[in-house]
Amino acid sequence: MAHAARKADLSSTLADANIRLDGGVESIVRNAWIVGGVGIVAALAWAFLSGSGAERIGRVWIVTYSFVLSIALGGLFFTIVQHLTRAGWSVVVRRIAEAYAANLRWMWLLFAVPVLLLLVTGKFGYVFPWADLAHMREVHPDEATLVEKKTAYLNVPFFLLRSTAYLAIWAALGWFFWRRSTEQDADGGIAATERMQRWAPAGIILFGLSTTFAAFDWIMSLNPAWFSTIFGVYFFAASCTSAFAAMIVALVLLERRGKLVGVVTAEHFQDLGKLLFAFGIVFWAYIAFSQYMLIWYSNQPETTGWYIARQMGGWKWLSIALLFGHFVIPFLLLVSKHPKRYTTTLLFVAAWMLVFSWLDLYWLVMPQIPEGLATATSYRALAEENAGVSTRLADPLNWLALLGFVGLFVGSTLRTLAGHALIPVRDPRLAESLAFENM
Amino acid sequence: MTTLPIERAYLPSGEVDNTDERPGERAELVLGHETFHQVTETVCRVTEARRPPLVWTLGFLFSLMLTGMLGAMVTYLIVTGVGVWGLNNPVAWAFDITNFVFWVGIGHAGTLISAILFLFRQKWRTAINRFAEAMTIFAVICAGLFPGIHIGRVWMAYYLFPLPNQMEMWPQFRSPLLWDVFAVSTYFTVSLLFWYVGMIPDLATLRDRATGRIRQIAYGLFALGWRGSHRHWHRYERAYLLLAALSTPLVLSVHSVVSFDFAVSQLPGWHTTIFPPYFVAGAIFSGFAMVVTLAVPARQLFGLKDIITIRHLENMNKVILVTGCMVGYAYAMEFFIAWYSGSMYEQFAFINRAFGQYWWAYWIMVSCNVLTPQLFWFRRIRTSIWGMFILSLFVNVGMWFERFVIIVTSLANDFLPSSWDHFTPTWVDSLTMLGAFGLFFTLFLLFCRYLPMIAMAEVKAIMPAAHADGHGGGDGHGGGERARVDPNARDGGKP
Repeated sequence: MAHAARKADLSSTLADANIRLDGGVESIVRNAWIVGGVGIVAALAWAFLSGSGAERIGRVWIVTYSFVLSIALGGLFFTIVQHLTRAGWSVVVRRIAEAYAANLRWMWLLFAVPVLLLLVTGKFGYVFPWADLAHMREVHPDEATLVEKKTAYLNVPFFLLRSTAYLAIWAALGWFFWRRSTEQDADGGIAATERMQRWAPAGIILFGLSTTFAAFDWIMSLNPAWFSTIFGVYFFAASCTSAFAAMIVALVLLERRGKLVGVVTAEHFQDLGKLLFAFGIVFWAYIAFSQYMLIWYSNQPETTGWYIARQMGGWKWLSIALLFGHFVIPFLLLVSKHPKRYTTTLLFVAAWMLVFSWLDLYWLVMPQIPEGLATATSYRALAEENAGVSTRLADPLNWLALLGFVGLFVGSTLRTLAGHALIPVRDPRLAESLAFENM
Repeated sequence: MTTLPIERAYLPSGEVDNTDERPGERAELVLGHETFHQVTETVCRVTEARRPPLVWTLGFLFSLMLTGMLGAMVTYLIVTGVGVWGLNNPVAWAFDITNFVFWVGIGHAGTLISAILFLFRQKWRTAINRFAEAMTIFAVICAGLFPGIHIGRVWMAYYLFPLPNQMEMWPQFRSPLLWDVFAVSTYFTVSLLFWYVGMIPDLATLRDRATGRIRQIAYGLFALGWRGSHRHWHRYERAYLLLAALSTPLVLSVHSVVSFDFAVSQLPGWHTTIFPPYFVAGAIFSGFAMVVTLAVPARQLFGLKDIITIRHLENMNKVILVTGCMVGYAYAMEFFIAWYSGSMYEQFAFINRAFGQYWWAYWIMVSCNVLTPQLFWFRRIRTSIWGMFILSLFVNVGMWFERFVIIVTSLANDFLPSSWDHFTPTWVDSLTMLGAFGLFFTLFLLFCRYLPMIAMAEVKAIMPAAHADGHGGGDGHGGGERARVDPNARDGGKP
């Protein structure tokens, strides 16, 4: 019977050589960290040499940080939901998500250091305009009158307090699930699973609220007069895109290196592909469309400026690229079951989605509301005036910063994984996951 | 391995708690039925009994009476005009649209259970999907009534559709009200197809068991010549999967389009970007509450406790808790962003909701939708029959009031204080609303009596006996042995 055969190879399937990283990983970790360090130094050097202002440096930092953060937060979300639903199929892929989320224990540094630098140099208000109301009153008096009403929320001490809370919550949750899961590798008890299941509901609520308000504070408040109730959900959808794509990339690359053979199968890849398709592509598009359509249709001057900024000059092309690259094309590529089961196509789509998830964050953070918006006589005139606005995607600052943060993130993820098995080897539902088949 | 059910002191007699699940084991979903035939007997018994239970007859007569009242109210409305409702100048939408949104929302649980839970491989859905889907159909019928009668001149209702005509008059394609016509009619069509296609094997079972000529012909006609051959099953599974995939976006799209009816406007309290997902979450919330409201008495009345077990009910209560929290999140976002926007109109709209002329409606909504569902955090309440029944009624009430609050408070106090007014429902408004419940329950009771209330074929597929080669359980050992346990022993191998 198939089952007897499966039992027989279980010992070779679960052998250390198959489910643990080789010693060679140490050098990869070192190289990743070197790339990360060099990337950050080079980004800073380039920024100073090319004379990028504090505002641009700060915003590129937010894009880059929110990109790696979205992978870690999406990993946290995936982990919590598996415990919340007592999922069986996902056990063999969960460790990767846990490792992404475990990065949250140090990633607060990537937030805290730049914020402190901005505060010390007095440039905080260049990035978060609400922190420098005097300047805002000069440049955008209309906006300033609106923003003045928000100072009870948008002020530096409260911002720091809230940010600390989000970072602490994420670090605690990421570390909690990583520790319980790896402890179980050693003791094999179901108590760890029960504990994780018990904390999952509180975890998901904390996750939801902290992610929402972090998106408000760190991204939405860059245009402090603008507001959208769905914005937190939008960032959540973006996290799903990044994290599910990053999980697929990691698992396919492990498979290519001869790891997890017979453990993570086409069945699991198909399911991860479904999740990427459903949450990272379709749900994202649904949320993005809801926000755009309602603001476009209602056409109120308080809120349309944010989209007008994204329809001017080079941003117009990036907006169109997102529509096709983040939704239409990957939708068509992934809608059938075959590309989800064939790792080459799945890897391609996942890598593609990572690129577009970064572009999406760039698109959220970087555009500036055109200066002449309030006084423009017509949309056409404004568009002509701003036809030359560039997205500055080619600016090496973007790529060096990305290299830096991703290098640190990859190095740290591998370092975290190196000491442990690549799957929760003694999870009580491991057998169910190994035997899992679609339909 | 499976975790075995336990009889708990706090549960009523005959109730078995199968909500426990040790990690690594899976609880049994069908209790007390060891063979497929027993499931067939349990389910078919309901429609084959010579007489329905007395409660059914009384309930049916009462519902029929309410339906008659609905007919009278609609006739009175058409003959007299919309003046018989309490509408006034700023409040041109009130009970009619509240009822419409409420009923469309009720339908969503059925689609979620049949489509999304199917794609998520939630096996417990099989016990409840059939009547949840039936509920969807009947709820959409109730919903469809209201836009039709609210247009004033009902004899012009065909203008809702873009029909070519010699005057070349077309509906406004940019209006979400027209999108609603398409969204709801697509939803109804796909839901009906899904429900019917899923029912074909069970209709064939009823046909094969039928003893009377009428039953043989009626079920035979709708069973479409189903013989249960491999080819039939193959086609059936294919169709089912495709319909599930088609229905999934409908779960999101229908209520999103309903939310557009409000959110595309510029009215504070209506125009907010979170409306589409918020309405969807609210719809699933109210729909599941209605499923619990119906499932609790139905399983009691028709002896289905071993198929719709406490575990099924508990799972639904968890869905209610989750979606209730999402709705609470949306309320919080609306309130926060109204303040954060810095716009006095936005701020006024929300303060007016909580403390203005309809403050009581707002607090009913918050209490029933956000506060009381939190009791479902307690397992004792999640598994208590009375607890869940009462809480589900609260949710039904709360979700009706949610729509009332959104629609009426925003309209009654808009930008210009001189145009403010107060909406008071007339007796026609109230009786029409009640009558719609009558229509819904009439259809639902007829369904219970004449159609297979449980998807027998699907329930059988999740029983251990269907997986004798060992695919059933967590560790690869299915219920092969368990399937041979003495079928008369109620809790088979209880330790």
